[in-house]
Amino acid sequence: MEDKTTLQPQNNSVNGTARKLLRFLRGMPFSFILLGFIIAACVAGSVIPQGGSAALYTQRYGASWGGLICWLQLDRVFTCWWFIALAALLCLNLILCSVSRFGAVRRAWKSAGEKTWGVWGSWLTHLGLLLMIVGFAAGQFLAREAVVYGIAGSTQPLGDTGLMVTIDKFEVALRPDNTVEQYTAALTIANAAGETQSGAASVNHPFDAFGYSFYQDSMGWANYVDIKKDGQLVKTDLICAGEYTFPDDQPSLALMFNKFYPDLIRQPDGSFATASPQLNNPYSLYSIYFDGSMVAMNLAEPGQPIPVHNYEFTMYDPVEYTLIVAKSDPTAWLVGVASAVLLAGLFLSFYVRPWEENRRKQHADESAPQLP
Amino acid sequence: MQTNPLLSSLESVAFMAALVLYLICAALYFIYAGTRKEWAGKAAWWVLLAGFLIHTVRIAVRGINAGRLPMTNQYEFASAFAWGIALCFLIFVKKFKFDALGVFVAPLIFLVIGYASMQSREIHSLMPALQSTWLGFHVSMAIIGYGGFGVAFGVSLAYVLRGKLGGLSHRVPEEKTLDLIIYRAVALGFLFLTMCMITGAIWAKRAWGSYWSWDPKETWSLVTWIIYAIFLHLRLRRGLTGRKAAVFAIVGFLCVIFTYVGVNTLLSGLHSYR
Repeated sequence: MEDKTTLQPQNNSVNGTARKLLRFLRGMPFSFILLGFIIAACVAGSVIPQGGSAALYTQRYGASWGGLICWLQLDRVFTCWWFIALAALLCLNLILCSVSRFGAVRRAWKSAGEKTWGVWGSWLTHLGLLLMIVGFAAGQFLAREAVVYGIAGSTQPLGDTGLMVTIDKFEVALRPDNTVEQYTAALTIANAAGETQSGAASVNHPFDAFGYSFYQDSMGWANYVDIKKDGQLVKTDLICAGEYTFPDDQPSLALMFNKFYPDLIRQPDGSFATASPQLNNPYSLYSIYFDGSMVAMNLAEPGQPIPVHNYEFTMYDPVEYTLIVAKSDPTAWLVGVASAVLLAGLFLSFYVRPWEENRRKQHADESAPQLP
Repeated sequence: MQTNPLLSSLESVAFMAALVLYLICAALYFIYAGTRKEWAGKAAWWVLLAGFLIHTVRIAVRGINAGRLPMTNQYEFASAFAWGIALCFLIFVKKFKFDALGVFVAPLIFLVIGYASMQSREIHSLMPALQSTWLGFHVSMAIIGYGGFGVAFGVSLAYVLRGKLGGLSHRVPEEKTLDLIIYRAVALGFLFLTMCMITGAIWAKRAWGSYWSWDPKETWSLVTWIIYAIFLHLRLRRGLTGRKAAVFAIVGFLCVIFTYVGVNTLLSGLHSYR
């Protein structure tokens, strides 16, 4: 049997500490501490380049500061464990605050002579913020993303989604001054069961199919490449800018397609640029690699042979490719709802029951019950 | 981009006229503050109203000439920012009968439109990502929000400098009223900043598939939002008023200015539209 005379004070002490801790966790000072750290993290995350290599920070800030940045994970502030912990603690603070205030807000709402929705303003604002953080965090884990790129007519699998993406057509609409008005890709998406959905994806107008939204993300140029050995065609390939190709029997020899200039001009400082996106004077910048080392770099126009020993590379028929990003975010609706709740809460807080009016009434009658 | 030269000239004239009128308005408010001459205060009000109307015409003309909402580069946004402060100023002056507020806000309007005058006024075609209806909502919300914060800044300055204004002191409302105006202006700014961030997120989701990407502008908007959220919490729950609240609102506006000018010029990201 427990000796209650000795245990009671200890229990009271434990309960008292727990109550104090709970009060602290749901209190405003705690939220201000968290928000202060979040502000500091945001400043660091916007000033320090994110996602770089350790070498980059050492080169930019010196060995000591670079090392400190990496150790504190300031090179990836918004995904590091302590930032996630801050967000989680803020959620805890919001939950405890909302739960503890719910009863008081409800009583105030019911006891008001005529129902005053404004008393819910602050509570709804906190709820909206909480839902927003939870929705965003859930989206980080549940959202799926896959990328596919290719020229018109190509069909490729969309990552491990089980979907096949066919790029039926890709168009770049230009204005008379050669600026881009819109990029549009006509797509056909097929699922594993053979069902298909077709539509167009352009910037600001994603195409939705099979639970994914397909975004027209970017574009570039691709070249067909013929590789000949001793005058005989041994391979035909299609490579996009930034990619390389090699003879299958000689993989140590490679041609890299660096950049494409549709309308090549030489600038006063000697550098190359393109005067327009039209194919008026097309040239491709390429590099030749042998055993991993670059041995040559030059410009070639379409159809111009590039001889390397007994091999010959020829780039021709430059064509635009499109890069499509497919995204699925099952929690986006939650963030939408959270935004609406947050806005409703702010509006109620500021304009339906103005606090100043309440305060004025309280000053007029100090005995009036205080609304939460 | 092909534009109508007549409309371009009209826009330039309207812009310069608004700039000059805001300058005259600021000068008149200083005369009002220094000499206690009533006519200067009244004239300043009318000059500011005239500047605001001409400024509105300029924005409309540029919009017609560009064939879009003229709020997409530094020049256009700075001009609209000044317009937003002027609009909020006119509303708050009428609502709270605080004419002397112009002494603090008119120079700010002039500074912001002056900043706009230093930017390139060339009309460019919009890149595809900017061709969205949400852009209009997003930027409009920012303009009103920043305008509200600008007015709060001006009133806060009036509060902080209250004892050092000499003859102007008797034209400044009592501390409680100043405090209330600061709160009202911050509340307006906060609501619209929230809407700005939400509409921006909706737009980003449509354009890039991600409603939040920790772009420097987004991040600093969040910092600004948190600072004003703390201000509102302290005021509503802890009774933060008086000089401390005014200093807080000034710090908040410095954050707004950094979010607008500093981020665009010092940090690169999705919002770096020069």
